[in-house]
Amino acid sequence: MRAPEATSTVDFAPRAIARLPPASPRQRGSVTWERRLLGWHSLLCYLFLYVPILILILYSFNRSKQTAGWDGFTLDWYGRLFANDLILRAVKNSLIVAVSATIFATIIGTMVALALARRSFRGKGATQSALYLPIIIPEIVIGAALVTFFGVIELRLSLWTVVLAHIAFCISYVAIVVRARLAGFDRSLEEAASDLGAGPLDTFRRVTLPIILPGIIAGALLVFTISIDDYVVSSFVAGVGATTLPIQIYSMLKVGVTPEVNAVSTLLLLLTVVLIAIAQRLQQDPTPSLSKGARKK
Amino acid sequence: MPEETPRRGWASYPLVLPTWVVLGFFFVLPLVIMLIISFGQRGTYGGLKAIEDLGAYVTSGDFLANYKRSIEPLYLSIYWRSLWMAVVTTVLCLAISYPMAYYIAVIAPAKWKNLLLGLVVIPFWTSFLIRTYAWMLILRTEGLANSLLQWSGLIDQPLNLLYTDFSVMIGLVYGELPFMILPLYASLEKLDLKLLEAGNDLGANSPQTFFRVTVPLTMPGIVAGVILVFIPSIGQFVISDLLGGAKSILVGNLIQNQFAVARNKPFGSAIAFELTAVVLMLLFAYAMYTKKKGQEVLL
Amino acid sequence: MTTARFRTRALTALALPLALALTACGKKAEAPQAEDAAATKNAGKLNIYIWSAYLPKEVIDKFAAQTGIQVNFDTYDSNEALLEKLQSGVADYDLVVPSDYMVKILIAEKLIQPLDHGKLPNIANLDPRFLDKKFDPRNQYSLPYFWGTTGLGYNKQKLGTVDSWEAAFDPKNKGRILMLDDMREVFGAALKSMGKSLNETDPAVLKQAADKLKKQKRLVATYNSGDFANILAAGDVDVAHGYNGQIAEVVANAPDKLAYVVPKEGATLWMDNVCIPVKARNAENAYRFLNYIMEGPVNAEIVNGVSYASANVPARQLIRPEILNDISIYPPDEIIARCEFLEDIGDATTLLDQYWTEIKAQ
Repeated sequence: MRAPEATSTVDFAPRAIARLPPASPRQRGSVTWERRLLGWHSLLCYLFLYVPILILILYSFNRSKQTAGWDGFTLDWYGRLFANDLILRAVKNSLIVAVSATIFATIIGTMVALALARRSFRGKGATQSALYLPIIIPEIVIGAALVTFFGVIELRLSLWTVVLAHIAFCISYVAIVVRARLAGFDRSLEEAASDLGAGPLDTFRRVTLPIILPGIIAGALLVFTISIDDYVVSSFVAGVGATTLPIQIYSMLKVGVTPEVNAVSTLLLLLTVVLIAIAQRLQQDPTPSLSKGARKK
Repeated sequence: MPEETPRRGWASYPLVLPTWVVLGFFFVLPLVIMLIISFGQRGTYGGLKAIEDLGAYVTSGDFLANYKRSIEPLYLSIYWRSLWMAVVTTVLCLAISYPMAYYIAVIAPAKWKNLLLGLVVIPFWTSFLIRTYAWMLILRTEGLANSLLQWSGLIDQPLNLLYTDFSVMIGLVYGELPFMILPLYASLEKLDLKLLEAGNDLGANSPQTFFRVTVPLTMPGIVAGVILVFIPSIGQFVISDLLGGAKSILVGNLIQNQFAVARNKPFGSAIAFELTAVVLMLLFAYAMYTKKKGQEVLL
Repeated sequence: MTTARFRTRALTALALPLALALTACGKKAEAPQAEDAAATKNAGKLNIYIWSAYLPKEVIDKFAAQTGIQVNFDTYDSNEALLEKLQSGVADYDLVVPSDYMVKILIAEKLIQPLDHGKLPNIANLDPRFLDKKFDPRNQYSLPYFWGTTGLGYNKQKLGTVDSWEAAFDPKNKGRILMLDDMREVFGAALKSMGKSLNETDPAVLKQAADKLKKQKRLVATYNSGDFANILAAGDVDVAHGYNGQIAEVVANAPDKLAYVVPKEGATLWMDNVCIPVKARNAENAYRFLNYIMEGPVNAEIVNGVSYASANVPARQLIRPEILNDISIYPPDEIIARCEFLEDIGDATTLLDQYWTEIKAQ
């Protein structure tokens, strides 16, 4: 999602002006070796990130049940996976929780980030401190506190208690990331918009939102990641039939890493890769001539 | 540049109301209950011991028993170790993540950015536990790392990689990377390259430009990343259990033990709240410091 | 492309595969339940909360088909997690399977209800050796489900025959020892090796045990309560402290290399028991299920599927000989005689926790 391709008349406006395509630095030969170095560093980092993943995928085809050694190639585990109602139920639950939590937490978190960044209101300090609590407090305390609390208000545990719990602790992550994005936001753009007659909602939608969108997306990705892999809090507040994938995996791991677990992880991986690829496709501007022209400016 | 004067007005409240409701009701309130519990005593079977005389309990200072116990030397050494581990993890994470985030945000062609960012995050949509087990497979005596090193002739005997501080550090850094990369990316992405150009034009070389222009401009991202990595690192315990062989006890393990094994919720909560208080104070101190220097408050 | 159109496109494209994935999982997961619901409007539900891998799915499915009851089951991995859920009062389970010491706690905390033996004719199938234990006299609240021992798995090719706890404290095995990451079990091993009871509360004795464990720590490669059997099988350690069921499984895969022993000084005898929580809303269905799993053939099916020993007599005729004759799973009386149950040690738990922290912290 790109910022509007607006040019600024003030050449050295120091804050978040719409980004022009990076022209000059790239053409300078003197920085090429630095760019190469960074490129290699990133490649190594990606390798570091993916080696365990490759192992995980590899072992989903392992004939042997134990993590001991490679015993031969087989697709059996994938077949068993689809017959395994428990895992399928867990995947479904996890997806429901993660998607719900991401949507709500992102919206609520962005709202509060905007308020914290630009507005002053009563209880601002308290709100800021409260937003740090989910990150600071160990998960086991959060889980125990929530299950005790639900007991006190007599709210029966279910999948929805998991969703509530996730939304509650995910808001903070979105708020922090979006807040970082908002820091140093140049208000003059918004003022320009309103000078040109746009109402506050319009200004938000067409000026502010596009600029902070990368932050919002980063926050949403973070929250989805956290939610889909949350074990401790979920295990405390899940009700009957609300077993999520991490809980299911954890219980299966206790009895020895069955490759079924690797298989489900591999499939989930595939799903997310597909989603990202689609998002990537949509990123490609369907009117290439325009953007190329802009670059040549 | 100092931020503009924050606006007042009623419009703030609809923005923060959902947060107040959700956070307040499903987070702060349960924690208040835990706080009250932290002043109690462990019951014989792990609940709470009934207190006969509440007045005497409070005035005699008995209600602080758990807090007093938590600052005994045994526990202080545990806190120190956890702090140290969290600092090292954060520094390593920052050192590794910054160049990578820089590459994705600034150098990579625009159309690949989302893909590269997605590639960072995708591994973390698999189960954390499985990834950790994968590291065990890699680092164990007959694992991938040793096999590779022996095959390439670099070593004769397998190295003892697993169940060490080294393996714990790898696991920690690995697990926390996206929490550092994403905020850094968010901040770097809006970096105005013309400023870097300006720096170069004015005669600064690359390191100078980096430290005096880029870093200050991306400080919000750095702070956000440090916070998101440092704080959870203090309280983590699974990695030191699996990759460290459960041979060390960090604050996270300590609290975990109180809740899960010793069934001593009051003591466990007391430690957790102390940890919270300390971290909040650090954050507060940082906020004061930045405010004093006239910089924008990032918290 | 305008931002608005891009956004809608993006959302749809992302939502589509996601929705498909959800429906795929959802359909499969709900199909069996939908059938049951259609078949029997009034047979009701049954919510089971049990240890992972303790109940083969086939057994549940057969029960559901027979009775029309819709069975949900969730798993937990520690007694304390179970306790936490029950203490909250808002977990909706009809059947739970706590361990011996936890049964006593649940009774004391009034979280499980007395069992009406009149409704459970199949109790007659239970082996009297495992009834009427100290943690639940006359089985008022619980019935045995599985039982076993905690001993040592070891590499017999490397170490020869091992018959004592001292193997886990022997400096010759430095770096090749695994202990359970369980405070009571590890102290139990130390106490037994000193000839004491598992449930020792004398502070002086506990201190001695703690000192022994502190000396042992540098010999230990890892403390692990989940994967101990696999770690032994993978050759990372030569001596592994662990529960008999999982170790028996890896021994069966490598009988020339590995073995399991209940040390001569004695060990823990553990027993997991079925109970009905006080707040169970489908207690009647729970009774039906209990009767069902106490039937000989059904119980045999469970044991054959899970490789842990049950306390059911008629089932023995249908249990696979490899399991029945495996003394790690079904130890003879002399071995049982030198084992004891773990009992809750009340306030001494805090002292033990202190020592445990010290051991781990050094």
